[in-house]
Amino acid sequence: MSNYIIPILLIILIVYGSIKKVNVYQSFCYGAKNSISLVYNIFPYICAIMVCVALFRISGLSSLLVNILSPLFNFLGIPTQVCELVLLRPFTGSGSVSMLENIISTYGADSYISRCAACILSSSETVFYVSAVYFADTKVKNIAPAIIIALIGNIVGAVASCLLCKIM
Amino acid sequence: MFLSLITLVFSAPDLIISTMISESKNVVSLCINLIAIYAVWMGILEIVERTGLSEKLAKLLHKPIKKLFKIEDKEQIKYVALNLSANFLGLGNAATPSGIKAIKSMQANLKQTKFAMLMLLVINSTSIQLLPTTAIGLLASAGSTNSSSIILPTLIATTLSTICGVFLLLIYNKFKKSKYE
Repeated sequence: MSNYIIPILLIILIVYGSIKKVNVYQSFCYGAKNSISLVYNIFPYICAIMVCVALFRISGLSSLLVNILSPLFNFLGIPTQVCELVLLRPFTGSGSVSMLENIISTYGADSYISRCAACILSSSETVFYVSAVYFADTKVKNIAPAIIIALIGNIVGAVASCLLCKIM
Repeated sequence: MFLSLITLVFSAPDLIISTMISESKNVVSLCINLIAIYAVWMGILEIVERTGLSEKLAKLLHKPIKKLFKIEDKEQIKYVALNLSANFLGLGNAATPSGIKAIKSMQANLKQTKFAMLMLLVINSTSIQLLPTTAIGLLASAGSTNSSSIILPTLIATTLSTICGVFLLLIYNKFKKSKYE
């Protein structure tokens, strides 16, 4: 089903554009051209954030954090095996996808842990990355409250995933 | 960052620069991918804008956005509407360009739109996608017998996380206002 939605929407869009006498080709080119300057502008911020995250991971501080926080997460109903995923998720999208692959191959695709991890991955978002990209190149300061709120929201999502996967 | 550096100076000083550079390399290749992905999506979005469909979408979502984001400006509402609809369809990469445009257009009158910016960030970073395609794909390829069983739990969990985020932001905003008044 979902494989068809986007292509169909695209066809409708192009037909609609032709009816409205919009130059579809030129519009596409104009939009595509802007992607380079967009990425050019956000590159330094992504780079800075990702380098920080990499240092944080190899320094061993992240596993320390996992050890400290896992009792708290266990208390909330999040199994220890997926704690690291919950903590890594806000920082890196590709990193957490490969961690999910790991979890699935270790515990089996139909196990509670894997389903739980899959749920957590898709109900949360890379908070730090999103905030770096969205607020790159703006003069807005003090977005920390929103980041903290988003993180709390993601943890609520993780707790809910663990609970729901148990009963569903 | 600072703490990690200090720890590393004691544990593995030779890893510092090599890690920074290899991660930066990853970011470069990520960005090249992003140029490609955004080129396609921004091209499509440009067609959407020039056909006037985005205005129609904005009109459709006008009321809830006005209430939730507390913004009046038509252009801002348009970009927010585009961003939210792309998010719903699970097109995170199509959502990003319109999200950035929304933030940029809000920058002009920062005082009134600070709340809207934070709201956009919270909604975008608590994830509101309808179909968890990546996770389902991974489970299915690992031989899961019922990979789509995670759709419903995911949908509920992601809705909960977004509602929770929006709610907390509203509380925060109230708290902050009462402090200044």
